[in-house]
Amino acid sequence: MSETGATRTTADTGRVVSGSLGRWLTIAGGVLFWGWLLARWLNNWFLPAGVGVPPGESFLDPAAVAPISDSLAFAVEYLPQLADAAWLTVVLTVVSIVLGFVFAVPVSVARVYGTYSSTVSLAFTELIRGTPLLAQLFVLYYALNLSTLFRGLPDDGFLPSAVVYVAIIGFTINSVAYQAEYIRSALLSVDREQLTAARAIGLSQRQGIRHVVLPQALRFAIPGWSNELVYLIKYSSLAAFITVPELFNVARSIAADNFAYTGIFALVAVLYLGLVISASKLMAGVERRVAIPGLGGTASQ
Amino acid sequence: MSDYDPLLTVESVSKRYGDERVLNDVSFTMDRGDVTVMMGPSGSGKSTLLRCVNRLTEVDSGEIRLGDHRVTDPGIDVDALRRDVGMVFQDINLFTHLTALKNVTLGLREVRGFSTDDAREAATEQLERVGLGDQLDSYPGELSGGQKQRVGIARALAMEPELLLFDEPTSALDPELVGEVTAVMADLAAGGMTMLVVTHEKGFAREAATDALFLDAGSIAERGPPAQLFENPENERTAEFLDRVSTVSGEP
Ligand SMILES: Nc1ncnc2c1ncn2[C@@H]1O[C@H](COP(=O)(O)OP(=O)(O)O)[C@@H](O)[C@H]1O
Ligand SMILES: [Mg+2]
Repeated sequence: MSETGATRTTADTGRVVSGSLGRWLTIAGGVLFWGWLLARWLNNWFLPAGVGVPPGESFLDPAAVAPISDSLAFAVEYLPQLADAAWLTVVLTVVSIVLGFVFAVPVSVARVYGTYSSTVSLAFTELIRGTPLLAQLFVLYYALNLSTLFRGLPDDGFLPSAVVYVAIIGFTINSVAYQAEYIRSALLSVDREQLTAARAIGLSQRQGIRHVVLPQALRFAIPGWSNELVYLIKYSSLAAFITVPELFNVARSIAADNFAYTGIFALVAVLYLGLVISASKLMAGVERRVAIPGLGGTASQ
Repeated sequence: MSDYDPLLTVESVSKRYGDERVLNDVSFTMDRGDVTVMMGPSGSGKSTLLRCVNRLTEVDSGEIRLGDHRVTDPGIDVDALRRDVGMVFQDINLFTHLTALKNVTLGLREVRGFSTDDAREAATEQLERVGLGDQLDSYPGELSGGQKQRVGIARALAMEPELLLFDEPTSALDPELVGEVTAVMADLAAGGMTMLVVTHEKGFAREAATDALFLDAGSIAERGPPAQLFENPENERTAEFLDRVSTVSGEP
């Protein structure tokens, strides 16, 4: 009996150590990943000419690491261009999810509480969710030729080019529909009597929704919301098909030049993975931060 | 209106859900300061009647007046009516995402237009009045059932209603927590608050109520002073029901 006890203690200690080790590795990895990306972006747009390295060129000399490992030299050579392209991936994702959220809230409220507007909202979400995202982008880009609207805007790499705005519009519209669905089911999972109680102290329906139902529903929607963020990071690669030079597009053209498809797309996979893991960690942090004792069950003990 | 008129008039109110007659020609009045307890079997229409008084439910026919509010008129401002009628729920229904203090300040700020500071001060006062001055920053999930229901009462009181409705305020509570809630209610009654209380707590009714109603299948079967209704019920159904309630709650 004492023997098994001892074994278990050792195993537990091992788990605790490896648990906190894992956490430290994650933090270190995150700092390294984002430190490097930010350094690339700062280098490209904010350092005066002559300081730093030209965009797309690495901080290290690939030839210097070649004796250590050929793969490492390959990574050092191509990662900078990919990091520069990842900027657009991040912009597309972040802007679309934030704008999408701003519109998704009224759309979902209309769906749940509206009468006439509920039908409009339903038609919109079904249309968007029922058609391929790529087709939606093509409609905006080829059929409506939206990019002409944005001609003449500054395009210096930091501020994106006209076609990026088209992609943002496309992803935003798409994200409104999906986020509205997440928020709709979150609204429905708020106890109906919460609104009754709000009405009973004299709040209007609108005030009740705003101050009582939404604050609870938006907390319930966070898991769905992180899902949407992860999807959007990966779906942003579809912008390549309307010529946006984001991560996937740039990788494709590098590989078309050097035929090192496996190597390039392995690097791309690592970058997407870094972005996705960061997004989930961020959302988990948000969920913990806004958790309220007794609300939502899982987040609180 | 003059102060001599009844505060609440319920006149021939009927309500049906589908084929079921939930309220059947119900009439009664309450004066200012009255504390009326309403008893009756489950499904007899007690909650429906309360909800008609603050227009959470519409009557089919009949009329309800509360002070100057013609409650059953279709065109009235229901939010203005509800400012004057507080409600305490069986399921308590505190705003789950707000602290005790914020549960009370929400109505003060959004409905009565108080500034943040004034609302905080007034809400603190109400929570102290129900004995929760030390729980201002607790969330509902951190409070006991009795404490939650006292916050519910403070939330309703803060609107300074003319009439407070209670729908079985203690029936979701563990027995040992009932007393702290009925004590607060008895205090309010003693302070002159007009209260319409659905409850089966005979102790509270005897101590605090001016009036008792027995509702059976949507009709008022009997009405009278609580002591008389409990000792000498005239209606057979009343007697039967009161017997059963006594057995359950173990009262003499
Ligand atoms: N919204 C509703 N829709 C349909 N039936 C209802 C509704 N609310 C109450 N009822 C019915 O009306 C009857 C009276 O309900 P209620 O007023 O809640 O009784 P009590 O509070 O006395 O238990 C019950 O039979 C109940 O099923
Ligand atoms: Mg009831």
